[in-house]
Amino acid sequence: MTHPQRTKKRSLNISPVAHCLVWFYALLLIIPLYFLIVSAFKSNSAIFTTPFAPPTSWSFDNFTQAWSQAQMGDGMLSSVLVTVIAEVLTLVLAIPASYAIARSSGRIGSFVEKFFAAGLLIPGLAALVPTVALSILIGLFHTREFLYLFYPASVLPLSVILLTQFMRSVPPELEESAMMDGASRVRIIVSVYVPIISPGIATVTILNFLSFWNEYLFALILGGPDPDIRTVQVALPTLVSQTNTQYGVLLAGALITMIPVYIVYIILNRRLEEALLQGAVKS
Amino acid sequence: MAPPRQPATRRRVNPALLGLSLPAIIWYIAFTLGPLLAMFYIALLKWPGLIAPRSFIGLDNFVKVFTDPVFFTAVKNSIIQVGIVVPVMIPVAFMLGYYVNLKPRGHRVLRVILFTPALISLAAKSVVFLSIFAPNGLINGFLANIGLDQLSKPWLASTSTALGTVMVVDLWSGIGYTAILFSARLAAVPVEVMEAAELDGCAHWGRMWRIAYPICRDYFGVLAMLQFIWVLFSSAGSILLLTNGGPGNSSTNLSFLVYDKAFTQSDLGYSQAVGVILFFVGILGMVIIRRVFAARH
Repeated sequence: MTHPQRTKKRSLNISPVAHCLVWFYALLLIIPLYFLIVSAFKSNSAIFTTPFAPPTSWSFDNFTQAWSQAQMGDGMLSSVLVTVIAEVLTLVLAIPASYAIARSSGRIGSFVEKFFAAGLLIPGLAALVPTVALSILIGLFHTREFLYLFYPASVLPLSVILLTQFMRSVPPELEESAMMDGASRVRIIVSVYVPIISPGIATVTILNFLSFWNEYLFALILGGPDPDIRTVQVALPTLVSQTNTQYGVLLAGALITMIPVYIVYIILNRRLEEALLQGAVKS
Repeated sequence: MAPPRQPATRRRVNPALLGLSLPAIIWYIAFTLGPLLAMFYIALLKWPGLIAPRSFIGLDNFVKVFTDPVFFTAVKNSIIQVGIVVPVMIPVAFMLGYYVNLKPRGHRVLRVILFTPALISLAAKSVVFLSIFAPNGLINGFLANIGLDQLSKPWLASTSTALGTVMVVDLWSGIGYTAILFSARLAAVPVEVMEAAELDGCAHWGRMWRIAYPICRDYFGVLAMLQFIWVLFSSAGSILLLTNGGPGNSSTNLSFLVYDKAFTQSDLGYSQAVGVILFFVGILGMVIIRRVFAARH
């Protein structure tokens, strides 16, 4: 053994049954993903007769058909717009708020913090219908603009709570010296806090990226079916047909929607996993 | 005034700070809390469709809900879904998390595999499982290949299997991520505690349930609560994409009923009456789960 110390410390002693069960479950997780990838290159008959076989040719016809049939180019553009604008707006709202909570020790500060903490327990979907009514009321039903405004609200509790914890780790002395120099609070937030808490901002941005890019039901109802407005998540299921779904095309479309997420995952691997952990543990 | 004393800073600081948090508070009230409160009012209206005129009818919607057999089908299906998904997912994920935390060979690969479903969108996940459970999809194709054709069926389009298939998808996407969360929690348990148990001759099964479980009890509760809320309130999307509540109403649950009544059947008052009921059931459920998993010391 190359690591005598490590092996001495831990005699694992796991029963073979446990190993088998765990890896059997891992296999169950992988099979749908494998099926997704190979089927994206197959026809319906090949999917049914040889579901596990690798494709006979790596032609991208299914991808181009999915792209044009569901107008996924427009969908991608909408998704990018919604995600980016909602991300920026979320940070603009959440950073000052979390700064204020972290730096006020009085009763109001802790009330505001509890206010957002309680928000973590409210499932967004509970208020779908009144949210639609609101979008009609302000004349933004079936527009992307409403999604720009609405998505930040849906993630504010978690973003504020996470950022507050990072803000608290900044020593107050830093701020006091900046204040002596007569810098305004906004200046202090931007030039003192934001650089220090950038790991926290990264965490929040990653979590929000996943929820904005992947969101479905609100995008469907609030954005509506117009191909120029709908996000790529709403465009994808339009490839399902009542009578004759081309599963290869459908799964190629699914892969297209997943590309941006996997690019981010490959670049930010560990950071993304940590973000998901922090996001869930805090809530 | 040097050096500044704590109380003085506090008083000086508060009003300006409140101003900085105001935009976020207003935003949250306008787009989340406000609509949630509006739900209680809409539940008292006769409102046949988003652009139709509405009128106040008091509690009539609740009478309608409680005399509607579809509502009770949805209640039954939600109970089945919560009653199976949560008790299966949480303990299995805990055991998986315990395993991952032991860092056996291959645990890094395993971690990546367990994480993957958390990255996939609801729409992508649903179309993958639509293809897997389709009449000419992966499952039936596999059964045909091994000569078990007689077992094949349209899984998502049969009354007997639609809801079960939806639950399989819920479990597929939830167990792995929850397991990773448990393993992160278990990593925080002091090594000495586990080693002491090992010296006492406690095998993994005993250590897992007699040592690790009591330590993570509160976390068990938190994750059970999150999963409970998700199934109860947010499963409408996956039902819509996988079965559309059918065939008949066989896979309609409460979350989907709220969606369907509002946007397909244009009865917004009914939909929100169910929403109000769901809201109180949700609170009750959370209180119960909290009680059950409350730390014992």
